[in-house]
Amino acid sequence: MKRNSVIAVTLWGGLLFSIGTTPATADDPARGDATRGARTWADNCDRCHNMRDPRDFRDDEWRSIMAHMRVRGGLTGQEARDVVAFLQASNYRQATAAPVAAAATTGGEEVSPGRGEAVYNQTCVACHGADGKGALPGVPDFTDPSGRLGKSDEVLLKHIVEGFQSPGSPMAMPPKGGNPDLTVPELRSALAYIRERFGK
Amino acid sequence: MNKTKPYMKGVLALAVASGLALPAVTRAAGDEELAAMKARVEALEKELAQMRALLEKKLEAKADTQEVEQLKKEVATASSNAQEWKEYDSRVHLGGYASAGFAGSTVDGERFTPVQFAPILHYQWRDLLLLESELELQVQRDGTTEVGLEYLTIDLFLNDYITFLAGKFLSPVGNFRQNLHPAWINKLPSAPSGFGHDQAAPVAEVGAQFRGGVPLGERAKVNYSIYVANGPTLDLSPAGDEIEALGSEGAVSNDDDEFVFGGRLGFLPIPHLELGVSGACCSIAVAGAQEASRSYSVLGFDAAWKWRNLDLRGEYVRSRVGSEITSVAPDGQRWEAFYVQAAYRLTPFKLEPVVRYANYDSTHADQEQEQWTVGINYLFAPQAMAKLAYEFNDGLQDTRTDDDRFLLQFAYGF
Repeated sequence: MKRNSVIAVTLWGGLLFSIGTTPATADDPARGDATRGARTWADNCDRCHNMRDPRDFRDDEWRSIMAHMRVRGGLTGQEARDVVAFLQASNYRQATAAPVAAAATTGGEEVSPGRGEAVYNQTCVACHGADGKGALPGVPDFTDPSGRLGKSDEVLLKHIVEGFQSPGSPMAMPPKGGNPDLTVPELRSALAYIRERFGK
Repeated sequence: MNKTKPYMKGVLALAVASGLALPAVTRAAGDEELAAMKARVEALEKELAQMRALLEKKLEAKADTQEVEQLKKEVATASSNAQEWKEYDSRVHLGGYASAGFAGSTVDGERFTPVQFAPILHYQWRDLLLLESELELQVQRDGTTEVGLEYLTIDLFLNDYITFLAGKFLSPVGNFRQNLHPAWINKLPSAPSGFGHDQAAPVAEVGAQFRGGVPLGERAKVNYSIYVANGPTLDLSPAGDEIEALGSEGAVSNDDDEFVFGGRLGFLPIPHLELGVSGACCSIAVAGAQEASRSYSVLGFDAAWKWRNLDLRGEYVRSRVGSEITSVAPDGQRWEAFYVQAAYRLTPFKLEPVVRYANYDSTHADQEQEQWTVGINYLFAPQAMAKLAYEFNDGLQDTRTDDDRFLLQFAYGF
């Protein structure tokens, strides 16, 4: 009986200690970052199960699902919020995709593979991998001479901007790779970098 | 004297003439002015009419502006209301999974296997509290439906690295039972030998737990869980003189007054590679028997590696119960199991071949089994698949553990 009391006191003591050492209250957390979220999503989710399409659920549903996955998958709170930000940024369709598609056809701004490298390493690398061969099932191999880079810039840019599901792939690439802040010139630059780096 | 000068006469004559002519001249000038004034009045009237029309138009336009303003307010209110459902403090989400299948074997014959429905309810308050619960409804051989509470926990997110949860939770020992058993996640229609209910791997606990994750540098991290719970029970054989199995479904009773302490530490040195070690221990006694406690321990190792389309994983678990000479069931027992599994996604065809080897050792010969399973999955979607598999089982002759099985399952996670 005495030992059980010690257990109870230890448990509650640990609980209170945890609350007392909380660096930032869970009720007022830092916001999620979609770019970090893409990487966390790609690094963690398929450890146990197949990757789900961001468009499978609404924004509010992803919050509850990621709260569950935070507990189940041993994610930190920040990681969970980052993944939520990525999923929420990736699950929109027509409302923003159409104007973006129109914007994709207008060029004029400077395209730079150097600028594209930064974009690739921040956003695209999560799924396409550092070697361009695809880090996840269904992601195309950019180094394949008869592969995806055989298509024209216009087609590829349209796919990048609007999102695209490869035939046979279990899920679609989200519009702009899940990073809605990217501009069309930045995406053009990323495409230029992909061609220069992997298209030889 | 009356003599008027001649020029004066002219002046007088002119004055008289002017006096006579002036009214006529004045009348003529008045007519012109009147006409001019009339024209001007008409012009003014016309102008006034135009201004009135313009004013009326402007008034109409003003009414339109008000309507637009009103409309804007209504849209803003509607937008605010539309946003409201996304930003409320409490949110509910229903997920889960379901499966149906077919099995054929020598002992059991051919039959449609139990239909399973496992709804998972999430009720979240802000980013602070989460209630998560999974029910398991399964149609049994006799047609009845068995309902079970797979888990129910109230989770309190203390900070970014620690979550406290209390209730019934899936055992943190190992990885299969807590993360991989749902039908849409498990790549084969069956659990590996030794990792089913009442076998070597504990299933669930009722107690309290701390768990979370901590980053180590940029990409490496650890995840952990520490728990205290009521612990397993000792299930005796029908004769009552031997421990047949460990009851580890998560009991709310604790007859031996002993708690189990355990946990798991997962280490991810690089993304897609996880190495886990887990264990639990306590003293344990046969329920209802006035006897001394004996030792109980469970130890587990698990590993998972994902490389592009290849998925490799394996797990080992060993449960032991010590001997107690004064007990009604004095002998100690051991249950030990492991499996290794490989799956490869053939992306263009949505196919995924799987092969698994499992081995289950026990101090009870009728429980031991060596098992090879080969299967192929067709993925309709990442969360929906048809699984076709064949189990080569090697166990005690003429029992289920030795019966090869053909399995077909359709699984859907939602």
